[in-house]
Amino acid sequence: MTEILHVRDVTVRFGGVYAVQNVDLRINNGELIGFIGPNGAGKTTLMRVITGIVQPQSGRVFLQGVDITDKATHLRIRAGLALAQQIVQPLRALTLLDNVAIACGSDKTRHALKSMWVTDIRSERAQARELLARVGLSHVVDELPGTMPLGYLKRLEVARALALNPRLLLLDEPLAGLSQKEAASLADLIATLNADGQTILLIEHNLREVMRICPTLYVQDNGKSLAFGKTDQVMSDPNVRNAYLGVGHA
Amino acid sequence: MSYEITLMTTMAISVLFALSLNFITGFCGQISLGHAAFLGAGAYTSAMLSKADVPFLFTIPVAAICAAMLGAIIGLASLRVRHDFLAITTMGVGFLFVGIIRQQDFFGGEIGIAGIPSSGFGKGGFMLICIALALTFAAFSLYVRRSWMGFVFKSIADNEDVTRVLGIDVSRYKLIAFIIGTGTAGVAGALYAHHFRFVGPDSFGFVESISVLAMVIVGGIGSVWGVIFAAALLSVLPMLVQFIDDYKLLFYSGLLFAMMRFSPDGIAGLCTRLFSYIPRRVPDNGGNNR
Amino acid sequence: MLYLELFIQGLVQGSIYALIALGLTLVYGLLRILHVAHAALFTLGGYIGVIVTNATGSFTLAMLVAMLVVGLAGMLMYKLAYEPLLSQPPYVSLIASIALFIASEEIFRIAFGPYGLSYQTAPLQGHIELFSGFYLKYAEILVMGLSTILMIALAWLSMQTRTGVAWRATVTDPDMARAFGVKIQNVRYLNFFIGSSFAAAAGVLVALLNNLVEPTMGSVASYKALAIIVLGGLGSIRGTLIASLLLGVLESFGTIYIGHLLDRDAIAFAFLILVLMIRPQGLMGGKL
Repeated sequence: MTEILHVRDVTVRFGGVYAVQNVDLRINNGELIGFIGPNGAGKTTLMRVITGIVQPQSGRVFLQGVDITDKATHLRIRAGLALAQQIVQPLRALTLLDNVAIACGSDKTRHALKSMWVTDIRSERAQARELLARVGLSHVVDELPGTMPLGYLKRLEVARALALNPRLLLLDEPLAGLSQKEAASLADLIATLNADGQTILLIEHNLREVMRICPTLYVQDNGKSLAFGKTDQVMSDPNVRNAYLGVGHA
Repeated sequence: MSYEITLMTTMAISVLFALSLNFITGFCGQISLGHAAFLGAGAYTSAMLSKADVPFLFTIPVAAICAAMLGAIIGLASLRVRHDFLAITTMGVGFLFVGIIRQQDFFGGEIGIAGIPSSGFGKGGFMLICIALALTFAAFSLYVRRSWMGFVFKSIADNEDVTRVLGIDVSRYKLIAFIIGTGTAGVAGALYAHHFRFVGPDSFGFVESISVLAMVIVGGIGSVWGVIFAAALLSVLPMLVQFIDDYKLLFYSGLLFAMMRFSPDGIAGLCTRLFSYIPRRVPDNGGNNR
Repeated sequence: MLYLELFIQGLVQGSIYALIALGLTLVYGLLRILHVAHAALFTLGGYIGVIVTNATGSFTLAMLVAMLVVGLAGMLMYKLAYEPLLSQPPYVSLIASIALFIASEEIFRIAFGPYGLSYQTAPLQGHIELFSGFYLKYAEILVMGLSTILMIALAWLSMQTRTGVAWRATVTDPDMARAFGVKIQNVRYLNFFIGSSFAAAAGVLVALLNNLVEPTMGSVASYKALAIIVLGGLGSIRGTLIASLLLGVLESFGTIYIGHLLDRDAIAFAFLILVLMIRPQGLMGGKL
């Protein structure tokens, strides 16, 4: 198994407060890891360290063995990361199809000057159509995002991230705000993607769905790694139970 | 005839200038409140070269390069800053430009540069050059909007952060938009200098920057046709309607405010709404309009 | 001695900037609008100050009337111009604000003539000698004194009263404040009232310093105040105050030493661009 992501001994402080402290995390090819922890555990901060929105005070981040700690966000994406954000951010002026098509065209958008000479978008749109079908949105490809319900937009986020053809897909609370039925069906989709070989790191509050689909769990509390391992083992770990029960049943 | 030629020339230069801002503000979503500085940079470059006996046509590319270089420097400095800052920084550039020009005898100081030689093509020929350049850039704009670059611009204008997460080098694209837009403003400046045969610091101040922004916004931010229409109309309106001269600015600003209040997407937006309104009425006619 | 004089001049100018820029910061902090038309309210304040003083002979009355009327005008401006645009992208309110500002400059010109108005007998024109050869005008003392008093009053209001607490809460987190029963709408009105009346005070004071109000007196204020709030880190009150005083002093010295390179008004922007190159978030970005 090849290693996709390695977060090595990362620490982030905001002012005097540790948001993330000496955290280590490894993800291998083909894994689906559920990343859980109570509110304020530093989940989002670690995600931002991986995507490059937050710079760690110490520690390194490796993607497929390459140190990306000092790279700008768009270069990390080019190197094989993709992110579906917690708060859905569709491009509101573009149709759902074009929202995905622009991500499909990453070869054409790599060099800004060259992109001026290319007008053909048919193959990207065809690819985008397939991806939207895969997440179950083939019936609304020509709609604008403004008219779509949240559940659809969450799926759009996933499709757009997939369009980048990532080695590692980061999903930041994709199930948040969805009804139980919608959440279950999106979770099924995530499991299917993983079964097709996609490596995924899933940050999620919805424990029930995470435990259902993720073979491996990573738990963080108060900015520190708390547990990492097989889902049932982690969930029976007294430390993990404490962390959750300490802040009340989720 | 001479009056019509002057009118047409003024229109063509305004259209080119407005389209150059539209490239930055309309396509790429970067508000600039100091665009007249780049018109000025081109105008001064061309004026001074012409006074040194450089042929008019040769001054155009030099003016474009000077303005674009200034644009690149400003772009590199201001594209780092937060969204809201850009409007203020570009506004600052406008004031800085006028402030520097005003104090340097080299640039003619307060008085400016008068007696710029004529283009050498006659009034009619010069008008044709202006129209040709404006149309060329309009065609280029329409092409770019269809290209992948235009696609990315649209995405950046929509949401910069998302575009970055799609692996796109947003700063690079913004810089290119800035360089093309400011370079083209420099071309418009060269034409301006040879049209009026005079350049002075007051011609490139805040009011000019706002006027051109008004053209872009009244036309419909990002819409090439809308901007052409608005620039042509607004540039000659004061000449055609003499009585509003004293109330020109009041009229302009009133129009601009009304536009923002009632149709923020400009004339183009108005048209779109109008046309999308009509077809929807068609079925009511019982399908009689074959 | 020259240094001290330049420094004091800078502080006087800086106090004026602070009074103007404060309103802009308040509006930006709450609504994320770059309120260019704020400068029109400043000019309005100047006109009311001169007109009321000339009519009644009381400068104090003029100051109070100006602050009250302009404060209300600011609330009206919010209601009619900004509130309907809040859901639009930010450039819409910015352009609307610029349009409003230019229109009001024109209205001042058409209503009161292009050459402006002066006090019939300008108050507080005497001066005292602090020590040999160093004079300070009463008007200049008033500028610094009144600005300080107004700032302290504002600080007291925001720290010690219920209204102030609600106001600060709204600026920090509007949704949370709403959840605690703060009426956001009232906070916005209050914001515009306070910001506008401070600008009016600045207008009256500038009219006093120059013994002149003219239609275009707001144009410098409009863009320079914007530069100041950006320098201060957009939305930071403390940053705005520091940036105002700093810029006042800097301009005062700059006019003497680099005036042959840049005119006074360009100095502010040269400084702004320089600062942004080093600190893209402004002098005090992020704090309130």
